[in-house]
Amino acid sequence: MNLDWLDAFLITGLFQVVMVIGLALLLHLQLGLTRIANFGVVGFWGLGMYAFGVLYVKVDWAFGEPWQFLVCAAAATVVAGLAGLLVGWLIADLNTDGVLVGTLGFATAVQILATTQDDLTGGARGMGGLGFPYDIGRVKDNEFLWLVITAAVVVAILMYAWRVHRSPYGRLLIAVGGNEPLARSLGKSTFRAKLWLFAVGSAGMGLLGAMNGVMVHYLDVGNIGVGVTLAAMVGLILGGTARVWGAVVGVILTVGLFDIVIQSYLPLPKEWYTQAIPVLREAAFGLTLMIVLLFRPLGLLGDMRRDKLMGKIHGR
Amino acid sequence: MVADVVDAVALARPRIRVQGAVKSFSGRVVVEVDDLVLGDRPIEGLIGPNGAGKTTLMRMIMHSTPLDRGRISLLPADGGDVVLSSLPAHRMARHGVVKSNQVIMDFDKLTIWDSLLLAVAEARYEQPHRIFSERPVFRRHEDEIRHHLDFFGFADPTAFAMSAGEKKLLDIVRCLLLRPTFLLLDEPTAGLPDELTEKVMTVVRDVAATGTSVVIVEHDLNVIWSLCDEVLFMAEGKVILRGDPPSIRANRTVVEKYLGEGHV
Amino acid sequence: MDLDFITQSLVIGLTENAPLVLAAIGFALLYRLTGLINVAYSETITLGAYFGMWLNTTYGLDFYTILIPTGLLTGLLSVATYLAIFRPAKRRNVGTLEMIIVSFGLSIFLRHGLQFVFGYPVRFYDVPPPDTIMILGVGVTSFRLLAVASVALLSLLLWVFIQRSRYGLQIRALANDEDLAQVSGIRPLAVTTLIWFVAGVAGGLAGAFYGVGSNVSALLGWRQFLLILMVALVGGSWGLGGVILVGVGTSVALAAMALQFDQSLYAQLVLIVAFVVVLKVRGTRLTETAKV
Repeated sequence: MNLDWLDAFLITGLFQVVMVIGLALLLHLQLGLTRIANFGVVGFWGLGMYAFGVLYVKVDWAFGEPWQFLVCAAAATVVAGLAGLLVGWLIADLNTDGVLVGTLGFATAVQILATTQDDLTGGARGMGGLGFPYDIGRVKDNEFLWLVITAAVVVAILMYAWRVHRSPYGRLLIAVGGNEPLARSLGKSTFRAKLWLFAVGSAGMGLLGAMNGVMVHYLDVGNIGVGVTLAAMVGLILGGTARVWGAVVGVILTVGLFDIVIQSYLPLPKEWYTQAIPVLREAAFGLTLMIVLLFRPLGLLGDMRRDKLMGKIHGR
Repeated sequence: MVADVVDAVALARPRIRVQGAVKSFSGRVVVEVDDLVLGDRPIEGLIGPNGAGKTTLMRMIMHSTPLDRGRISLLPADGGDVVLSSLPAHRMARHGVVKSNQVIMDFDKLTIWDSLLLAVAEARYEQPHRIFSERPVFRRHEDEIRHHLDFFGFADPTAFAMSAGEKKLLDIVRCLLLRPTFLLLDEPTAGLPDELTEKVMTVVRDVAATGTSVVIVEHDLNVIWSLCDEVLFMAEGKVILRGDPPSIRANRTVVEKYLGEGHV
Repeated sequence: MDLDFITQSLVIGLTENAPLVLAAIGFALLYRLTGLINVAYSETITLGAYFGMWLNTTYGLDFYTILIPTGLLTGLLSVATYLAIFRPAKRRNVGTLEMIIVSFGLSIFLRHGLQFVFGYPVRFYDVPPPDTIMILGVGVTSFRLLAVASVALLSLLLWVFIQRSRYGLQIRALANDEDLAQVSGIRPLAVTTLIWFVAGVAGGLAGAFYGVGSNVSALLGWRQFLLILMVALVGGSWGLGGVILVGVGTSVALAAMALQFDQSLYAQLVLIVAFVVVLKVRGTRLTETAKV
């Protein structure tokens, strides 16, 4: 397949967009529906990435690809899910302030551990040795295939979120997010609902982290900072926290704008790209968060249309 | 013979026992109930001036407000003893203890269908992997829900409950769908037009006739006199009087002192 | 555990981390009196460091001279963020959760925006090496001692102000019940502005102390934020004294663990776990819903 027309930067940019959409979709379930202020998205993502990396590189696997990848990715997903269970258990009966501390604390802890356990993770020096679980030709071909695979995973997450809206589980999450005491008075175990949501969401984030590790080949503790959480959050909020497609629209307009359009297609002076553009990107994201929440809190796509949804599923 | 059967039926009602229950807010004692049993009669009314502690007592029973001291237990119709005051709030419904809200409580983002399907959905369907369970839940409960919708006149259940009255009714229907054995109603007819008040009363009578114990807090005394088999009068945190409606009604001094001339 | 270790931990903890206590006081002031968790407070600290550095390097003023103007500048900045962002947000009925996200957005915006003003590279104060004084066998710089003195002084001033003065009474009334306070003739805008100003001063001074002791970078405040947040949340429920106590305790613990593990990151990790456990254990008491 002739991919000469496809710029390498474009593939990287598209991958970023797809990755952040995946994170934003999972955050949509936690923040948008259930109103859990997860400021630690990068913690679960990073934990998945590093768990995958360490297992992949440090363990002498008896079998080859793609089993090595599958086993390590599955393990990374489980590790992230267990972390989500732990953190979820800690925060499920705390108020918003407590959730902030718990999630932010977790993400910070992950970054600290990745830095200090440098025999395992390479610490500040970084860790290489990851690769694609296949080899179909040039680097660009491999990257493109991985982009497609990751996109497929994110589409699966999208479909899951879409189905959640149309199921009793989603209804429960919305109820918990809207009026938790009332939901409890109906006999719902809101603690358990939040706990399992967090575990499942974190597992998903961990899997995405593992897939990111494969793409970047080289892990760096500098990449698991709050910027990743920010990107997911601003995309979700700009597009619309309450809508499944909000994550998609918002991330395309933020990460897509900077990592594809500005990165590849705007004829800007080259020296801007080292520092000015990345700094501008973060500043713009921060500004977007403020502006959206002040002037159009439900984002571009607005509120859920559950009346239409109920009409469609159940008729009058 | 018939009398024995009637007595036997009359005995098998769930009851709630409140023992030594005390609750204070900011140093002020709001509820102080030594020994109270609710549920011996099918429909019991709880009246009293504002601030008497009626709603707080209800919340203590539901354990949404923790007790400072004391014990509240459920004595189910078929025997046993469940200490409600040591259960978490979400376990109440499992034991059939359900309460409607005095203050309008609703899920803003959920439609009427949503709200009611939420109430009836069993826990096993509300799990992260059950993303195709909407159809089965709907099919199991559609008739039951439609019965209530039609009875109360909800024209379009795919819409959101808009008016205060609609939200109040929705709250009550949610409670009914939980199949309560002990139903607490906190000012269920407040703000409702007469026809709907009548419907609420009908529903309460029906539910009580099937063996559910009902305790209803009301300021609308017409509802109390016509509905209740027994009335309790509460003031300053304590249950002061207890008796059938005529005798409470006749106790002019206390009632007048607190509720004013016009009510008797 | 030998005496040397204890005295070292105490002295280093108190002096090196005094800015932490100062910052925690300012943050807790805002949190307890307005209910807001202001993530952008970390940038108040960062900008305090930058303003001080700027005054120092541009006008050749020594460190002691720039302190007061720096405090004033960050105080004003803090007020500006209140008037431009947080107050309008409140009037638009932005909820608690969304407010935190707004403050997060502001934090990110300031953290990166400032680099267009002050440049991308790390900056430094231009000050002669400070005198070193021996305290209980540990060398302490005069800057650090000044930091401790400032913390003590500011805490005392704040305590007297809040507990005794007329304005302090108004602040406390406002914190308890805004409607009632307004009816009693207290002007919420004036009093709230004052709170934001004082919090800004505390944060800015903390930043200046942090900056002069090491370097000035855009991440300076954010690095401390989690710790400040935890100290304020855990200590704040016992008032100003609680924040100081927990802050001092945390400072000493940090120093002790850094000495023990020879790695300050582990100290942070232990503290994160400790604070989260405390919040969890305490947490179940906080959710007394009682609305259903």
